Amino acid sequence: MNEPKLLLKADDLSKRYEDGVLALDHLNLGVREGEVYCLLGANGAGKTTTINLFLNFIPPTTGTCFINGIDVTKNPLEAKKYVSFVSENVMLYGNFTARQNLDFFAKLGGKSNLTRDDYYRVMRRVSLQEKAFEQRVKTFSKGMRQKLGISIAIIKNAPAILLDEPTSGLDPKAAAEFQDILAELKDEGKAILMSTHDIFRAKDIGSRVGIMKEGRLVMERTREELQTEDLVKIYIDYMKSEPLSA
Amino acid sequence: MLKTIARKETLETILSYRFPLFTLICLLLIPLGLFVNQADYGKRLRDYQEQTRLADEAAKSLSIQDVMAGTVALKGFRRPSPLSVFTQGFESTFPAYYEFTQDGFTAGESSGGSDSILAAQGKVDFVFLVQMVVSLIALLFASDMISGEKEAGTLRAMLSNPLPRDALLAGKAGGGFLALWIPFLLSFLVGLAVLLFAGFPLFGGDAAARIAMVFLVSSVFVLTYYVIGLAVSAATAKARTSLVAILILWTAFQLIIPKMSDMAARLVHPVRTETEVSLQKSLLVNALAMEQARELGREYDRIFANAPESANEENSPERKRWDPIRDGIQQRYRERKSRELGAIDETFAQEKRRQTNLALNLSLISPSAAFARLVSDVCGTGELERSRYAGAVRSHQNALDAELFSKVKRTVMLHEGGGTSVGFTAMPVDASKLPKFSIASATLAEAFKANGRSLVSLILWLIVPFAFAYAKFLKYDVR
Repeated sequence: MNEPKLLLKADDLSKRYEDGVLALDHLNLGVREGEVYCLLGANGAGKTTTINLFLNFIPPTTGTCFINGIDVTKNPLEAKKYVSFVSENVMLYGNFTARQNLDFFAKLGGKSNLTRDDYYRVMRRVSLQEKAFEQRVKTFSKGMRQKLGISIAIIKNAPAILLDEPTSGLDPKAAAEFQDILAELKDEGKAILMSTHDIFRAKDIGSRVGIMKEGRLVMERTREELQTEDLVKIYIDYMKSEPLSA
Repeated sequence: MLKTIARKETLETILSYRFPLFTLICLLLIPLGLFVNQADYGKRLRDYQEQTRLADEAAKSLSIQDVMAGTVALKGFRRPSPLSVFTQGFESTFPAYYEFTQDGFTAGESSGGSDSILAAQGKVDFVFLVQMVVSLIALLFASDMISGEKEAGTLRAMLSNPLPRDALLAGKAGGGFLALWIPFLLSFLVGLAVLLFAGFPLFGGDAAARIAMVFLVSSVFVLTYYVIGLAVSAATAKARTSLVAILILWTAFQLIIPKMSDMAARLVHPVRTETEVSLQKSLLVNALAMEQARELGREYDRIFANAPESANEENSPERKRWDPIRDGIQQRYRERKSRELGAIDETFAQEKRRQTNLALNLSLISPSAAFARLVSDVCGTGELERSRYAGAVRSHQNALDAELFSKVKRTVMLHEGGGTSVGFTAMPVDASKLPKFSIASATLAEAFKANGRSLVSLILWLIVPFAFAYAKFLKYDVR
C-alpha cells in the first residue's frame, strides 16, 4: 500500500524576530493526507509562528516549509493553492452576507465558476442556519463565523488545511460541531495542522499530537500511543519543567 | 484576481456608512456651489454688459475737445469668464476695467466687490469643494485600506490565498477609488444639469471641452489624494496612526505649503505697491511735461523774439521754422515718456513676475496648488488670464496712442520771463473707428502648455506615493 502523501512539511525551521526573540527553534514536522496534527503549547510556544511561516507571512530565519512539496518561500503563490487557513477569530467582511464572503474568498482561492447553490450546499454542510446565508456577517456569533470560516476552507478544496486555535472561545456545542466537520475533512484525505490549547480535543481528533515549548517541538505522540498514555499529565509535566534555555 | 479584489473593494465601500454620507455631501454641495456661482456670474455679466453699453455710448459721442481737455478716459472692460462658475481663481482680483488716457492706463476697481462673508473666507466653488472636501474624504477613505484590513484580520485571510500583493494593492486602489468616483461623477452631472437649467452656456464655444477637462483634472487630483492615503495606510500598522498622518499631510498640502510659498516669495522678492509705482509714474510724467514746456518756451522765445505777431501767421518764415522744431521736441518727449514709463512698468512687472513665479513654483510642492493653478487656467481665471489681460491692456494703449492720442497735441510752454502759454492742435478722429478693447483668451492647449509644471507635480504625486505604497506593501507585516 502506498504511503499517504506528505502535504505539510517543516524542515529544520527556525524563526528569530528582529527584537532577538527566538520564536521557533529547528522545528521538524510533517502532516500527511488524511492526518490531523495537533500542536499543543502555551502562549508564545511557537504554534502561530509555525502557521505564519507555512503561509509565508514571515520569512524563516533558517529551514524550509513545504506545502505539497513546494517550497513556500521560493514559490509562495503556487504553494498557497494547496492550503486553506482558518484563524482563531475568523475575520470576514462584516457588511457582506455569508454568501458574499464565501464567494469572494472562493474566487481568491481560484474557484470562480461556483453558483449560489454551491455556496448554500457548503454552508448547509457546516450546519450554518439557512436564514444566515444572506445575512450580513457582522450580526454573526463567533460560532457562526467559525462555521463560515471552515466553509471557506472547504470550498477552496485545498488538500492541506491550517487551523490556528479554531475552537478557542467556542461554546461546547459549537466546538463539538466543529470537531465533527474536521473529522469529515480528515476522512476525505485532507492534511490538517491545527494549533490548539484544547488538550482533550487534540487527543480526540489528532492523528498525532506535538507539544511545543519555547519554540521547540519537545514531544510527539501518535493517536495509538496516546491510548495508553495520559496526554494531560504529559502536557502539564512539560509545562512545569525547567525552561529549555536555562 | 485584480477584478475580484476591485469588485470587493467597491462593494465594501458602497456598503459602508461612509458611502451614503459622502454621496449626500457631494450631491448637496457640488450642484449648490455651481448654482450659486452661476447666479453670481450672471450678475457680473449683466454689470459688464451694462458698463460696456454705457462706455460704447460715451465713445460714440466722444469729441476731440474732450480728449484735448483730458476730461474723458476711455475704458476697456474685461468680460467675466463663464467658467468662473467652476473656479473664481484670481478673477475677483482682476480689475473690472482699465482707463486709458494720453498719460497711460490705470486699473479700475477689482471685479470681486462682494459684501458677502464668503469674500473673506474664500468662495465656495467647485474647485474649493474638490480641494477642501473631496480630497479630505478621499484621504479618509484610503487611510484604512491596508492598516484597517490588517487590524480586522482580513488581510491575513486574503493573503493565505495565491494572491499576488501587487494585484491586491492595485485592485484595492482601483476598486476603492471607483466607489469614491461614482458619487463624485454623479454630483458633477447633477451640477451640470442645474447649470443648464440656470441658463449656463454649456454648449457655447469650447465650454464643453473645458468642463470635461475640469472634471478630468479634478478626478486625477482626487485619485492623487486617494493614492497618498493608500501610501500612508501601507506605511502604518494601525488605522488610527494612518488617520493622524493623513490629517497632518492634508493640512500641509492645503494650508501650510501654499501660504508658506507666498510668504517665502514675499520675503525673497519683495514688490512695491501699485500706489508707489503709480506715484513714480506721475512724478515722471509731470517732470517730463515741465522739461518739455521749458524747452518749447525757450525755442519759441528764440524764434519769435523779433516778430511775435508772426506766430499767428501760418506762412510766416518764423512759423515755418517753429512748426517742425515744436513737432520734433514733442515727438522726442513723447518717445522718452513712453520709454521711461515702459521701463517703470516693465521693472514692476518683472518684480511681480519673480515673486509670483517663486510663490507658484514653491506651491507646486502641494498637489492641491498644482490642481488649482491648472484648473483656474483652463477656466480662464488664473495666472495665464492675468498676463493675457495685462498684455491686452498694453496693446490697447498702444493702439489708442496711434489712433487717438497722437492726433491730439497739447502744447504747453514755459517762457523764460515766467509766462505760460497753451496751444492745441488736433487732427480729425472718427470715434466709431477707434479700436475696441478685447482680450484674446488662452486656448485649452495653451492653458495646458503653460501648466507643464502643474501637470508634472500632479503626475509625480500620483506615481511616487503609489510606488512607495507598492514598495511598502510588498514587505508589509500582515500579522
